[in-house]
Amino acid sequence: MAQCVQSVQEFLQDAFVPLVAALCSDEAERLTRRNGLSFAELVKPFCRLTSEVHMRDPNNQLHIIKNLKIAVNNIITHPPQPGAIRKLLNDVVSVSQPAEGLVANVITAGDYDLNISDRSIKASVPWYSNWKETLMELNTSTFYTATTPWFESYRESFLQSMPASDHEFLNHYVACMLVVSSSEPEPVEQFLKLSQEQHRIQHSSDYLYPKWFIPNTLKYYVLLHDVSAGEEQRADSIYEEMKQRYGTQGCYLLKINSRVSNRGVDEQIPDPWSQYLQKNSIQNQESYEDGPYTVISNKSADHLISDGLDIDIRDGLSNNFKAHPLQLDHPSDTSGTLDGTDFIKTTPSLHESKKSSSGTPHGACLTLTDHDRIRQFIQEFTFRGLLPHIEKTIRQLNDQLISRKGLSRSLFSATKKWFGGGKVPEKSINELKNTSGLLYPPEAPELQIRKMADLCFLVQHYELAYSCYHTAKKDFLNDQAMFYAAGALEMAAVSAFLQPGAPRPYPAHYMDTAIQTYRDICKNMVLAERCVLLSAEILKSQSKYSEAAALLIRLTSEQNIWMGMDSDLRSALLLEQAAHCFINMKSPMVRKFAFHMILAGHRFSKAGQKKHALRCYCQAMQVYKGKGWSLAEDHINFTIGRQSFTLRQLDNAVSAFRHILINDSKQPAAQQGAFLREYLYVYKNVTQLSPDGPLPQLPLPYINSSATRVFFGHNRRPAEGEKQAATHISLDQEYDSESSQQWKELEEQVVAVANKGIIPSNFQPTQYCLNSYSDNSRFPLAVVEEPITVEVAFRNPLKVPLLLTDLSLLWKFQPKDFNVKHNEETKELGVCGSDVIGAEVIAEFLINSEETKMARLKLFPHQTGELHILGVVYNLGTIQGSTALDGLDPSIGMQTGKLVSNGLSVRGRQDLEIQGPRLNNTKEEKTSIKYGPDRRLDPIITEEMPLLEVFFINFPTGLLCGEIRKAYVEFVNVSKCPLTALKVVSKHPEFFTFGGNTAILTPLSPSASENCSAYKTVVTDSTSLHTALLSSASSGDFGVGTGSQPEVIHVPLLDSVLLPGASVQLPMWLRGPDEEGVHEINFLFYYESIRKHSKMCHRVLRHTAVICTSRSLNVRATVSRSNALEDEEGRGDNMLVFVDVENINTSETGVKEFHVVQVSSNSKHWKLQKSVKVSEDKDTKLASRERAKLCFKAVRCKSFDETYTFADIVFGNEQIISSASPCADFFFRSLSSQLKRAHVQSNTHASQAAAKQSFEAVRLIQKCSEVDLNIVVLWKAYVVEDSKQLILEGQHHVALHTIGKEAFSFPQKLEQPEMVLLKFFRPENTPAPTRPTPEQLSNLIKTSLRYPESFNHSFHQKSLCLVPVTLLLSNCSQADVDVIIDLRHKTTSPEALEVHGSFTWLGQTQYKLQLKSQEVYSLQLKACFVHTGVYNLGTPRVFAKLADQVTLFETSQQNSMPALIIINNI
Amino acid sequence: MERIALLSPVCSPRLQNYPLYIRSVPTENELKFHYTVHTSLDVVDEKISAMGKALVDQRELYLGLLYPTEDYKVYGYVTNSKVKFVMVVDSSNTALRDNEIRSMFRKLHNSYTDIMCNPFYNPGDCIHSRAFDNMVTSMMMQYVK
Repeated sequence: MAQCVQSVQEFLQDAFVPLVAALCSDEAERLTRRNGLSFAELVKPFCRLTSEVHMRDPNNQLHIIKNLKIAVNNIITHPPQPGAIRKLLNDVVSVSQPAEGLVANVITAGDYDLNISDRSIKASVPWYSNWKETLMELNTSTFYTATTPWFESYRESFLQSMPASDHEFLNHYVACMLVVSSSEPEPVEQFLKLSQEQHRIQHSSDYLYPKWFIPNTLKYYVLLHDVSAGEEQRADSIYEEMKQRYGTQGCYLLKINSRVSNRGVDEQIPDPWSQYLQKNSIQNQESYEDGPYTVISNKSADHLISDGLDIDIRDGLSNNFKAHPLQLDHPSDTSGTLDGTDFIKTTPSLHESKKSSSGTPHGACLTLTDHDRIRQFIQEFTFRGLLPHIEKTIRQLNDQLISRKGLSRSLFSATKKWFGGGKVPEKSINELKNTSGLLYPPEAPELQIRKMADLCFLVQHYELAYSCYHTAKKDFLNDQAMFYAAGALEMAAVSAFLQPGAPRPYPAHYMDTAIQTYRDICKNMVLAERCVLLSAEILKSQSKYSEAAALLIRLTSEQNIWMGMDSDLRSALLLEQAAHCFINMKSPMVRKFAFHMILAGHRFSKAGQKKHALRCYCQAMQVYKGKGWSLAEDHINFTIGRQSFTLRQLDNAVSAFRHILINDSKQPAAQQGAFLREYLYVYKNVTQLSPDGPLPQLPLPYINSSATRVFFGHNRRPAEGEKQAATHISLDQEYDSESSQQWKELEEQVVAVANKGIIPSNFQPTQYCLNSYSDNSRFPLAVVEEPITVEVAFRNPLKVPLLLTDLSLLWKFQPKDFNVKHNEETKELGVCGSDVIGAEVIAEFLINSEETKMARLKLFPHQTGELHILGVVYNLGTIQGSTALDGLDPSIGMQTGKLVSNGLSVRGRQDLEIQGPRLNNTKEEKTSIKYGPDRRLDPIITEEMPLLEVFFINFPTGLLCGEIRKAYVEFVNVSKCPLTALKVVSKHPEFFTFGGNTAILTPLSPSASENCSAYKTVVTDSTSLHTALLSSASSGDFGVGTGSQPEVIHVPLLDSVLLPGASVQLPMWLRGPDEEGVHEINFLFYYESIRKHSKMCHRVLRHTAVICTSRSLNVRATVSRSNALEDEEGRGDNMLVFVDVENINTSETGVKEFHVVQVSSNSKHWKLQKSVKVSEDKDTKLASRERAKLCFKAVRCKSFDETYTFADIVFGNEQIISSASPCADFFFRSLSSQLKRAHVQSNTHASQAAAKQSFEAVRLIQKCSEVDLNIVVLWKAYVVEDSKQLILEGQHHVALHTIGKEAFSFPQKLEQPEMVLLKFFRPENTPAPTRPTPEQLSNLIKTSLRYPESFNHSFHQKSLCLVPVTLLLSNCSQADVDVIIDLRHKTTSPEALEVHGSFTWLGQTQYKLQLKSQEVYSLQLKACFVHTGVYNLGTPRVFAKLADQVTLFETSQQNSMPALIIINNI
Repeated sequence: MERIALLSPVCSPRLQNYPLYIRSVPTENELKFHYTVHTSLDVVDEKISAMGKALVDQRELYLGLLYPTEDYKVYGYVTNSKVKFVMVVDSSNTALRDNEIRSMFRKLHNSYTDIMCNPFYNPGDCIHSRAFDNMVTSMMMQYVK
């Protein structure tokens, strides 16, 4: 903001004040020193007059002077050294720092919030139209303005330390105070001595420096009286004497030190000196320069510890000068020594001394009355002494001027014009070479007007001053005295500005010319700078900020050697002011502000002002932060980091560096490497400072915490030779939501079975691997002594590789015994304590540039309890040298250890914080953004649980469809707990079996069974060929059909317990799935511990088997009703079963041929009786693409519920007992899976037609055409593989349900319907079939006629031939059926006409019968023939209806084929 | 041949000139380009304010050559919504004349409009669009050989 505490007018007034010299006697100086002050310092706070003063100008006009300030200085006889001034200014700036801890001053410009400065002000400017108002507010409220106090103090010190120059008189002494103490023996003598000394200083040529305004300087005699020590009367008498000698207006008696210095008194007296003396004033330096006073001040400082600050500076200065004696002569040489280290040494000491000295009061011997006296004294001096003197001088000068004006000046200049015109250019060239140009003697008439102007200016008569300056300017320009002209121009501009009522606008071009002249022609940078400071302030007050900024920048933009070494500090300050100008503009130019702030910061750092540099960069940072200027941001952050580091603000440094690294850096690799090294170095320093502090949070590498995966359990052993371990689950597997859902369903099934059909309410699917997809809302369970692996995803955003060493997890553990109900005490254990939890440490972990890499870290819990994994801890380092930049081979990894030992590394941590999923259930959650918990990293360690390992032996990878293969499975309990209730569940239970629980039929060891058939076989004799061999089994024996969950299979363990360390091998039969292709079959092994735990009830083990199947046989079968009713027993039904076997194997080379070795049936009600037609071959060979047709006769058999009758028809000489394992197992399994499929389909049907009365009847009728016959085709395949012939075995199942309908061995693929247009209406509910189809009805009753095929009758003997015919009626349905038999001929029937001859039925022509279910009824009929011939007997019409049904679904039953009879005549 | 294309939006307060998109070939001297673009924004600002309010409607979006430096020429373009496009091209590249520059800017503008039409794009976000990337790359390849 650069708002000054002073207004512009005040500032300009204070910049130029009447100077009064003070010359004290030693005694007087000692007197004032009792207060810790020199005389000049003593009066300093009172140098501003509070009342108005009146003065008369040369025209006798009354002129009012307000707020006049005078400056009383000790006389210094040497001009101040540039080096000393520089040092002083440097100190002034470095001492003045923004106060810390105050409320930040935030200015909102546009979208920027700028924390500009230190004072507590909150100016919020949303838009720049309000900006000005706010600025006005800021201007008006002086207390709350944001300021740059270092700049103001710099300016003040700069102006005060301006050496007096010949071309102007503003810094010349107007008057001189001669101060003598009353305690001196000869005060009057002393006065005389001092007066002479003054005269000597002014007029002798020995002393060039202190410049005096006019030859006869006003001398003011001051008698200093110590009230506490001296006699008052003596003082008064001396004063009387003085009054007589010098007049009342020329002398004064000042009484001070009324109070005895007493530190015990707590009287609070305001200390007006502090604000003046905190700053280093030039006076201190003067006292150093002034030989006689140095001793005094030093001595007094020893006694009174007056102002440690001053002494320190003095010491520093003197040291400096001693060290560089050449400096005074060659100021330009010392630039190198002055900035840099020397300053840094002194700056902190300054701070310390400042603190220590702040307590020592000034003016300890002065009471408030004394203060008043001093004020009175100054007032008196100004009123009586100074102003009249000035007034008089102005009059004199004015008179002189007027007297010369008319003639001489104009003549003078005219003659100059005439005679000197030709010389002007020559002169100007000389001037350019000679910096001062034309030099006037001190009493030159041209200077008189300037002198008068200066005096007028000092007494605030700006109007007169301006006109004088203006005139002087003209004169000087005419004389080509550029130096003088510049001075006049400068002051003309200032006085024009200061004129009351501002009659003319501020002549900025005057200033510009002045600055240019000072800078370019006179090469006087100090004066140019003064000009700029004044002009900038004026322009700022007129809101001409851009001009002010341009002015300020112009002075900084050049860096010539002659500009001197202090240009850095000046440039820095001016640039900062320029930056403030930019932001104060009507439309704040924020970027320009930031840019110049950075330039200022740069110059500050060059000037050794580290704190200011840091502050500048920080302010610029606010503009660039997060705005995408990433390179600029990086630069600023880097500089901030460095500066903070040198200032030992390590936290800031760390955060700044951290910022560079964590943002996606666009820097090249080398730069990033440098940043990283710097960061590590700084960090190292931080950690060294506080080695016991908490581990710092490291920013690198990035951790993608949501990608963290947690795995519970050991690493799985890979396959060992023939053994193939269960795949289970590992971190290497990708997450697949579909499969995980499958596993979950499987687990639910098995848990339901284990808990008698109900899933426990607290059931939680076991999750071995937690990732971002799994359900992490509950605390996961881990088992004690089993490792927990955490996979952390690190990403290196940098282009340089990062090396993490000693990488391990950070955790917190709460031991708890879950069996004990009450938790005794929960002691928190920290990171230490490896007896509780063992942690794996990764020694080295290299992440290449821009790489994402996973680290797997393990923990071994040794106790039960609650574990919280907090984060990772590691040493962060880089690899030095470019060799390791490329390549990742392990040899380099080995080398890195060596490399990093030389390099930097820092130990730190990073927390793993995983955000849970966003909640979206309730309305509140939907409207707000809430996240659920994620407990991935907080496992509960439970007690020991058994751990099962499963191995598969001889497990095939490829199978033919339907092939049966025997494999072995080994269960190993690797834990210390016995396990029980081992179950396995799979979606495909028809794929495998462990055999029935009847008996273990096959040898146990896998090696012994190598050439054995998978089936149990019995050698048969040939007599039984083609007839069925019967056996029976119930489905319960094979673990199928009992429960509702056929997928869950109990593993038959001995004693159903697997002891720790024990292993069991069990045979396992596999059957290739019926469909070709690759099948992934999931097994889930379920087991429990013998002891029940509260937390974990069961464990599971997963296995995924991949089986590739190829096509083998395709079996189709149909069943049809046999017309022949007679069977062996002469009762019941029989049917014909046609089996169509086709070899559809496509691999010509692999499978040579298939042999159908046996066909078995199994059904509750039916059995195969015999093979109807057999080819000559015993076996049915099927080469590729061959097809065989088999025909069997099936009969009804007695049914016991749930018992299946197995009938085997053997084509070879070995019977495979189909009712035993594994044949029956697979049969039942396929049956159950078919049932399930059918169930799903029928469910949809049944629901539609439910509760219809007629439905029952329909069902009954439908049932007549249903069978439940299952055909098993057992085959052998001869396969050539690696020039070895193998015999594979297999079986196919066909389930026959409906008569006349073809059934297939494998589920027919439903043709996917073509894409159809969406129809937007509801499909009509197809009404349930209330009427059975005639076809179905016709199956209710089966009829057959029995009669002799040919009948011989001698018509000669008897003309009527009577043939007995038996009509057999058999009820196929399960219900009673009413049957009507009508024997009458239908004459209309066209068939009847065709018949050659007609015959008639004798006897009753209509019968009404009721047939019970399955009843066979024979009706004796008689047919009467009159001719020989062939007759069709199939004329009786049979009508049937269900007995209890009202409606008569009467149809003619079974339009039977013509039953022909031949009547022969003998 | 080096060139850099930059977008910087100016939303309602004219102050937040931050880059939406910066690309340059070759990439090694990127800081210099950032600097160039950063300073050129002032010129753009000046030009906009100099344009006057009366002509806002039918004003030319293409600002022309902003300023030449020793090595580069800087061109500017401002959309009606005060989004600035700045292009820095090698001054020795004589193939690029005013018309080419103008058409390139138009292309950029069209592409930028497409991005703004994306409902998933948040106005003011940095541009991470592959289509835009490709367009800029192809443009750079076309003219900068």
